[in-house]
Amino acid sequence: MSAWEKLAALPREIVLTIVLIAMIVPAIRPFGLPIMVGKMSKDWYNTVDSLPEGSIVLFDIGFGSGGYPTLGPCAVAALHQMFEKHLKIVIMATALEGSMMYPLIMEKVKPEKNYGAEYGKDYVFLGYIAGEQTAMAAVLGDIHTAVKEDYYGTPIEQIPLLQEITGPESFALVAYLTTSGGIAEGWVYQAYSRYKLPVVGGFLSMMTPSLKPYYDAGALKGILDGIKGAADMEYMTRHPGDAMRATDILSATQTIVLIFIVIGNISYWGSRLSKREGEK
Amino acid sequence: MVSTDVGVWIAAFFTIVATSYAFRDNIFFRFAEYTFIGAAAGHAIVMGVKNIILYGWTHIAGGEPSYWIPIILGILIYTRYHPKYYWIYRYPIAFLVGIGVGISIRGAIHADFIKQIAATAKPLIATTPLGTLNNIIVFVGTVTALTHFIFTYEGIHKGAAGWIPKIGRWMMLAAFGGAFGNTIMTRFSMYQGRIIFLLRDWLGIIH
Amino acid sequence: MSEVVRKYIPLLITFIVGVIAVLDFYTTVPAIRGTFTVLKNWGIVVTAFALGVGAVNLFKVHGKRIAERGELWPLSGWLLFMLIVFVVVGLSTGKFDASWQYKWIYNAIMLPLGATMYSSLCFYMAIGAYKALRIRNIDSLFLFLTAIFVVLGNTPMFPAAFPGFFYAREWIFKTIISGAYRGIRIGVGIGAVVLGIRTILGLERGYLGRA
Repeated sequence: MSAWEKLAALPREIVLTIVLIAMIVPAIRPFGLPIMVGKMSKDWYNTVDSLPEGSIVLFDIGFGSGGYPTLGPCAVAALHQMFEKHLKIVIMATALEGSMMYPLIMEKVKPEKNYGAEYGKDYVFLGYIAGEQTAMAAVLGDIHTAVKEDYYGTPIEQIPLLQEITGPESFALVAYLTTSGGIAEGWVYQAYSRYKLPVVGGFLSMMTPSLKPYYDAGALKGILDGIKGAADMEYMTRHPGDAMRATDILSATQTIVLIFIVIGNISYWGSRLSKREGEK
Repeated sequence: MVSTDVGVWIAAFFTIVATSYAFRDNIFFRFAEYTFIGAAAGHAIVMGVKNIILYGWTHIAGGEPSYWIPIILGILIYTRYHPKYYWIYRYPIAFLVGIGVGISIRGAIHADFIKQIAATAKPLIATTPLGTLNNIIVFVGTVTALTHFIFTYEGIHKGAAGWIPKIGRWMMLAAFGGAFGNTIMTRFSMYQGRIIFLLRDWLGIIH
Repeated sequence: MSEVVRKYIPLLITFIVGVIAVLDFYTTVPAIRGTFTVLKNWGIVVTAFALGVGAVNLFKVHGKRIAERGELWPLSGWLLFMLIVFVVVGLSTGKFDASWQYKWIYNAIMLPLGATMYSSLCFYMAIGAYKALRIRNIDSLFLFLTAIFVVLGNTPMFPAAFPGFFYAREWIFKTIISGAYRGIRIGVGIGAVVLGIRTILGLERGYLGRA
């Protein structure tokens, strides 16, 4: 095996151990690097910021355990901004595990303690509703015929916030966070296309390229782009959390990946050129 | 300080064991995998039952007997396991497919087609030279990428106009490279959450 | 008669429901709106029933494996045991997923497993970047260049040292990715609409399953 080929033949255990160390070290000793806020996150923030106090927002938790490390911080930061603005929030879950994410998120937001919000008046959680786009269409179309009770089993007639909703026009904004392309497209189809409601969406970074056309066309007013979007939101709302901490870990791990890419290419071209030299 | 919560220790065990697959397949990972599959299926049943009661039975109890129809349709889904009457499950599936397709077509025509074409059909000349260049690149990218997928007319990929879909291919490859870069960030950002859990919530090394 | 009941009536159901859904978007006829509202709400219930299909399949497959003492059959028994545990805890308190007992087992078992299973792909990304992301020809050069600049822009350390990396990433997203993916999105949209129309008209029958 030539020196060039040896360079590309590091055992996977070594590669993985290096990656693990690159994650652990900055978690213990953060670098504290500055955040540069992207335009898509700024547009989400400004869209919510422009809503008058008391506006009703429909907020969808469209992710489960798989998306929680990335979209959990997005949800916390986004809800901090909404509660700070004294918006009223109808929270629902279109993902099967979404209702299990709700208590984890609210434990960090603490709306009653931090903002004096009252459940039932300022926010309500409807729980998981099956059907994805069918659920979206049902809730937006006529929430009173679709939903009979909230997540805790309280009849909706006893929930003041839901009595304020008379139709889709009652919602000033639809905000969703999801790991599913179907849910992400679904809200654009059901809220924007059907009822012309403003929509902001947050999803995993790897979904952003395929959903960005909606943002470019004006169907989405803002995007939270995975952990980067979450860090931007934490920075803009001045509620530092797990996402800002994660940026240091990302710095280390992605630098390691870049180094591996460079090593891989050096070894590939090195062996290719030395083989050509050998043939001459 | 190391956590004394049993739930945190169980979560830490499953995190470490599920990670071990990256190094080597092993029986502990299989144990974690089977645990997850069973738990996920159980969770689906719990949420299904809750939705049936909240969105079906509550309506019936409230004086809307028409909701027996979706309940019967739902039960008929399970006839697919019957060797002779399996075809009955086509009824609820036809209902679900009809609703799903009808609901999504209307949005797709508007958001995926009309709005995208409207966004493309804008003036190319912007207020700054960089803006104009950007608009041209977006326009060229859209048109050439679309052209790449025209297979009904063979001549478009060969001959004089063959360079158009070729540019589309390069634009898409460049776009996929950007998407790959984002995918790297996504996966690492997901795992960092587990690292923070292990170091903070389990071992108490960080706060 | 048999073919009418087995094939044509389901196709007719798809047609009627699909047409009502589409007409709800394009008309303001109260009867259609009202009918579609009912159908949407029914759809939630029928979908909820479908959530149990996975569990039935698991019982069939793993039950058979246990009975025949197949490969890893004790783990199959454990799988079904976990399924039953979640169902019993979820349904026994009357509060379903809102009970503290259910939240406890979810947070201890499903949350860490779900989060780790999806995210441990990062290690394969590192190995893939090392072994596969090579510039072999002009096609891979385009992919490589944008991947590198996006990774540089996404890594906070590099924009902190040189903000140009951040703006380069933003530019790549604003132009190259926006353009190419818009073309793809239009193509996907056309495909989805055509497939949807064919399904409603009964020309696509794959969803009916075996004959």
